Amino acid sequence: MKKFYLITILFSCCNLYSQSPEEIIKIADKRLRGKSSYAEMIITIVRPKWEKKMELKSWSRGVDYSASLVTSPAKEKGSVFLKRKKEAWNYLPTIERIIKLPPSMMTQNWMGTDFTNDDLIKQSSMVVDYTHKIIGTEIIENLTCWKIELIPTEEASVVWGKLIVWVDKKDYMQLKTEFYDEDLEIVNKMVGSNIKEFNNKKLPSKLEYFPLDDEGNKTVIEYKIWNFNVSIPENYFSTQYVSRLK
Amino acid sequence: MLIKIAWRNVWRNKRRSFITIAAIFIAIFLAIIMRSLQLGMYDNMIKNVVGSFSGYFQLHSKGYWEDKNIDNSYKVGDSTIENIKEIEGVSNVIKRIQTGVLSSNNNLSKFLYVTGIEQKEEQKLTDWNRRLVDGRLLDSEDKSIIIAKGVARYYNAKVGDSLIFIGQGFHGMQAVGIYPIQGIIDMKNPNLNNMSVFMNLSVAQDFVSADQRITNLVIDKEQYFDEIKIVESIESKIDIQSNDLMTWKEMTPELDQLIQADNAGGMIVIIILYMIVSFGIFGTVLMMTQERLYEFGVLISIGMKKSKLMTTLIFETIFLTFIGVFIGFVISRPIVNYFHFNPIRLFGSAAAQLESAGFEPVLPFMNTYDIPFIHGLIIILISLATCIYPIIVISNLNPIKAMNR
Repeated sequence: MKKFYLITILFSCCNLYSQSPEEIIKIADKRLRGKSSYAEMIITIVRPKWEKKMELKSWSRGVDYSASLVTSPAKEKGSVFLKRKKEAWNYLPTIERIIKLPPSMMTQNWMGTDFTNDDLIKQSSMVVDYTHKIIGTEIIENLTCWKIELIPTEEASVVWGKLIVWVDKKDYMQLKTEFYDEDLEIVNKMVGSNIKEFNNKKLPSKLEYFPLDDEGNKTVIEYKIWNFNVSIPENYFSTQYVSRLK
Repeated sequence: MLIKIAWRNVWRNKRRSFITIAAIFIAIFLAIIMRSLQLGMYDNMIKNVVGSFSGYFQLHSKGYWEDKNIDNSYKVGDSTIENIKEIEGVSNVIKRIQTGVLSSNNNLSKFLYVTGIEQKEEQKLTDWNRRLVDGRLLDSEDKSIIIAKGVARYYNAKVGDSLIFIGQGFHGMQAVGIYPIQGIIDMKNPNLNNMSVFMNLSVAQDFVSADQRITNLVIDKEQYFDEIKIVESIESKIDIQSNDLMTWKEMTPELDQLIQADNAGGMIVIIILYMIVSFGIFGTVLMMTQERLYEFGVLISIGMKKSKLMTTLIFETIFLTFIGVFIGFVISRPIVNYFHFNPIRLFGSAAAQLESAGFEPVLPFMNTYDIPFIHGLIIILISLATCIYPIIVISNLNPIKAMNR
């Protein structure tokens, strides 16, 4: 009987210390989003022959609503990308119009970056849409990370064949993600680095996104300000307000 | 001496000579008319499709043709343009910037090619005024656009309406703009009519944030100038490392192939024509030789050398052919020239078919001199070849048998 207790205690201890992969992803995901967020960032589009820098302000509420305002370069200043649930809108100050992106434009680049509009709209939930499995431990940027394999569930509408995510064991930061297509060939890679503290949360302030099909291409996002759980007026995410965003 | 005898022989039996000359004349006349018509038609097709818009040659930056992207644009110096203009046979050099955009108006949207042009320069390539359906052409200060009539039909747009363009600019910049329509133009080509929008070069450069840059340098040549020679001279004046010079054959291979296929058919007809004609000429020569066997026998038996007799016969043939070819030249020339300047105009379904393929429904003749020259030469060669028969006959000639009739 005593033996049995010991085993039970041992097992429960194990459970305490090693979380299930679902939980790890859940915590990591939550850290990134919060209830709402405000961020200022610099996006650099790198191409073999040139690069372009854009400055953006971005507001988000949960997964469903977000608005990004371009503040530089001057020619594009005032452009807004608005996401409302599964819809995407683009406000263009030069023509003073807001355009709902048609399905045909969903596979196009988002503001010239390596992301597609789809990547931003259909952000599948890493928590709900996938089954998770820890496949190892690796060290990235001197941090021990879980290496977690995510396979989409059958009913999920996900473009990827699988994902491999590296989450550090201490602060639950997603430090690296690999995107695989249906044939399980790697297509994209995202690497986080330059860890900083935003609102007492440790997060990688620099994200590099590599489309591996196009050599020499990448998109770099550097966060300058990243505040979580700020109050954002409801109308920030309405199509009427886009021209007044500042 | 022999030449004199040959010349006299030609006129000794006028009817016989006339038959031969007539055979040669008909051959050369038909060949010239046929080729002039055919080549003239091709030339017109090329002029319609190539000469009026895309130009005989275009200079792009390397990689532009495979990936028609504004990032593959380039800067061209005025000195380069001047250098190219100085080349013999080059008539115009025109700068353009072209990019694909999504256009929209009310609830409709459509993919279009926006082309930045210098209206004054374009005018040298084709008369835009004649193609203008509505509105007016671009002045250098205008910030508005001219749209092709197919685009106008799609949007049901009139002069004064506006179109919105959204596209990709230079180096990842957004290209967004709203432009009023100031003219509607007929591009005389269904593809171009459904896709084309024009604005001033500087306005287009601003639209795609590509200051001073162009995507195409259109180089037009004067009619009948040798393309290969011009290509060589242009290539000696540009930086071939970073630029590609393309001819219309490379840019519109389908037109070239169409012409080649049709031309092959024409060649076969010409070959058949020449075969018939050679037998005609051969027939008259055969008849002539047989008729004159007695005469040959007499000449040889009184001591004329066979070789001299053969030479005389060759001279005779040369005279006859030259006279036939010359008459063919003289008579076909005014006809070719007339139809060159007053082309045959097609109508009815044939015209409609040609028009829908983007060609003007006319059949002009080509009036270069190389057509009669080449075909004259071919006929002369054929006649000389038929001379072999009387030569063989003479060399085997037995004077006694020949005179014994």
